[in-house]
Amino acid sequence: MNIRETLSGLGEFWDEFRKSVLGLVGLTILILFVLVGSFGQYLIPFPGATENWRNIDFWQDNPQAAPPVWTNLPWGSQAASSDYLIESRTEITDLDNGVKQQTWTIPYHFTADQAPRDVIFAFDGIGQVPVILTVTRPDGKVVEVSREQLDLVEQQLTRFSVTNSGAQNVIEFVRSQDEELASSMQADIVKPTRMLFSKIEKTMENLPVTLKGDYVFTVTALYLNEQAKLESPTVRISGFVSGLLGTDISKRDIFTGIVIGIRWALIIGLLTSLITVLIGVLLGVIAAYFGGKIDWVINRVYEYFYLMPIIPFLIVIAAIFKITIWWLIALIVIFFWSGAFKPVYGMALQLKEEVFVEASRALGASKWRIILRHIFPMVLPYSFAVMALSVPGVIVYEATVSILGLGDPSIVSWGQILHDAEGQGAVINNLWWWVVPPGLMIALMGMAFVFLGTALDKILQPKLKTR
Amino acid sequence: MYSKFVLKRMMYGIMMYILMILTFSILFNNVAEQTLHDQIEEQITQEIRAYKNMNKEQLVSIADEKRAQKNQKYHLDQPIVFRIFYRTLDTLMFNYGNATVLKAANGDKEVLNIELSYLPNTLILFSTQVILTIIIGIPMGLWAARKPNGFLDRTTSSLSMITNGLPAWWLGLIMIMAFAYGPLGIFPSGGIHINPAPEGWDGFVDYLWHLALPLITLVLLSIWGTAYLVRNIVLGNLQEDFVMAARARGIPERVVLLGHTLRTSMPAILTIVILGLFASISGNIVFEIIFGWPGLGKLYWVAIQANDIPVLMGTLAISTLINILGFIILDIIYGWLDPRIKVGGKA
Repeated sequence: MNIRETLSGLGEFWDEFRKSVLGLVGLTILILFVLVGSFGQYLIPFPGATENWRNIDFWQDNPQAAPPVWTNLPWGSQAASSDYLIESRTEITDLDNGVKQQTWTIPYHFTADQAPRDVIFAFDGIGQVPVILTVTRPDGKVVEVSREQLDLVEQQLTRFSVTNSGAQNVIEFVRSQDEELASSMQADIVKPTRMLFSKIEKTMENLPVTLKGDYVFTVTALYLNEQAKLESPTVRISGFVSGLLGTDISKRDIFTGIVIGIRWALIIGLLTSLITVLIGVLLGVIAAYFGGKIDWVINRVYEYFYLMPIIPFLIVIAAIFKITIWWLIALIVIFFWSGAFKPVYGMALQLKEEVFVEASRALGASKWRIILRHIFPMVLPYSFAVMALSVPGVIVYEATVSILGLGDPSIVSWGQILHDAEGQGAVINNLWWWVVPPGLMIALMGMAFVFLGTALDKILQPKLKTR
Repeated sequence: MYSKFVLKRMMYGIMMYILMILTFSILFNNVAEQTLHDQIEEQITQEIRAYKNMNKEQLVSIADEKRAQKNQKYHLDQPIVFRIFYRTLDTLMFNYGNATVLKAANGDKEVLNIELSYLPNTLILFSTQVILTIIIGIPMGLWAARKPNGFLDRTTSSLSMITNGLPAWWLGLIMIMAFAYGPLGIFPSGGIHINPAPEGWDGFVDYLWHLALPLITLVLLSIWGTAYLVRNIVLGNLQEDFVMAARARGIPERVVLLGHTLRTSMPAILTIVILGLFASISGNIVFEIIFGWPGLGKLYWVAIQANDIPVLMGTLAISTLINILGFIILDIIYGWLDPRIKVGGKA
């Protein structure tokens, strides 16, 4: 087959394929998956999450088990959503006697009906640096939440949580506004973020009304000597709703997990089905063409793998040997080729008797030449349909092994997210945003491949076309 | 001719079973022997406690003697090839040894009895699923075939594609979340009985109540594929000449569909449907775990959690046996119903 023939063949195929709505839908979903899978790291709100999925420190500023932001219904009370804020501008001023002062301004637009759970200032610093953290409210009042004295030998991340350590300063701010109100407040009981984000009223402690508008967080640092340095301050708002799909008990962003899970689902599904189908097709053709003893042996091997209870076997293997994802893929390949084998075997048995095979045999073509040049290309297109149809099964297998906690801990897969959800009480606590999306993704990916496979099957297997 | 086919199928089945058990014996040789060694040591320690008035050296020599005896009994003193051979033989004879941690309901530590106490629940869940799926799925498939591209036909085919790649255990999680907890919590969240388990008729009702949610979940998943399959088989048969002849004779469409077409399609439908469902039985491990349904699948989980290797190996052997038995029997029935398969089997 030369290139032109192949191209015109592909063109014909595309003309047929275009007519299948199902196939187009499947293809579209698949392309989306591939795009998101490859460029996912630019989409997710937490870059570096792939490496840090099981790192508790990486997620510490997120709220725990927060529902998705869209659970804030337009007509209902708006809960504050989580946010990562960065500086809008910074300026350095020289003070007397060589001391430099750097100020960062971090704006925040706040519209919720409920104050956030926490406000966390985070910055990298080294050396002796006095730091002042302030909040300017929309009513123009300035709250100094903290006055810190950094003394760091090595550069490291410093975090300041208003909820954990800002209570006293916030009460002082209330006292400056209304002494009587502040006298009833106790530092270990009040919720500092509530004071910070509410109107100053008599009822602000029990029935706070939030003060909406533009807040400005400022970080002011004094560099007392040359090596003193403060870098990239951020403010993290820990809300009551978080991200597109909420967070889990370990404060991880579920949307991020879903997106990085796509890559592994695609790798596992596509790689496994590609190899299995190639093996299955090759063995099917060989068994059918050679016949006799080879046929018998291959058919017995097929039976062996076909009759083996795959999931129990995989689970026992994974439980005893603690296998990596690559071993799991290898094992699935060993068991899955039998799915492609039988239909191809049947087709090849028919093809073997065709006139063109006989003709090339009469011309003196070798057995392998006939198999590879004539029979294999005839059944290969159909095997793509088989391949697409076998992807969902593979993904479900990985998920099944993973949900038991027997998956590879170095990757992030949807099955593992579901395992965490199942094990950490998502079902009992009704954390649906943790359970529904991973399963829907498995179903959606499976569906895309089934649509694609069914469409391919109809085009490539002539027998079915008449139906 | 047919008996030859049956014999051959059964022979291959037995051969495959032996081969698989041999594979397991080789693969899990180390861990199984380690467990056996540990069990022997534990036995010796217990037995030695009965000896009194003995000094340390005497005790050590008695322990060595006992160890040698037991090693011989379990063939542990022989070369690895023989050890694997004997383990395979033992497994084939259902002699799975004793559990390290787990116990059957009556306190028995023999693995086979543990397996047998879990097996009925799996079979009950599976058989009720098959019966309900057939009762609901076949009429749906027929109805879909009656009006191809109609509403039901489209629903069936699209839902069969969606449920194809849906893990049953995930739907189980959702169903538990929706119908066991929260305002709609009308079903128990797992297990087979409330605690303490009621007796007699109440116990049976309680069992059914616990069976309901897992059963509904499984049937909800399997009816669509079944209906789609039925629809395809029936549609294929509707194009046959005898259907056209029947229609030409003026026989009402309902009779043609139910009498002529369904009757000819029934054998294929039943075997293919059961075959398809059967393939899912081993996939129901996680499903049983999610629902706390004490069947074989749950037993895998319990054995893994307790690190009880003999039970794990025993469960794997039983699953393998059931799998092979099921497929071979269905194969034989299918061959009986459809002579073409027999010819294929002969080749």
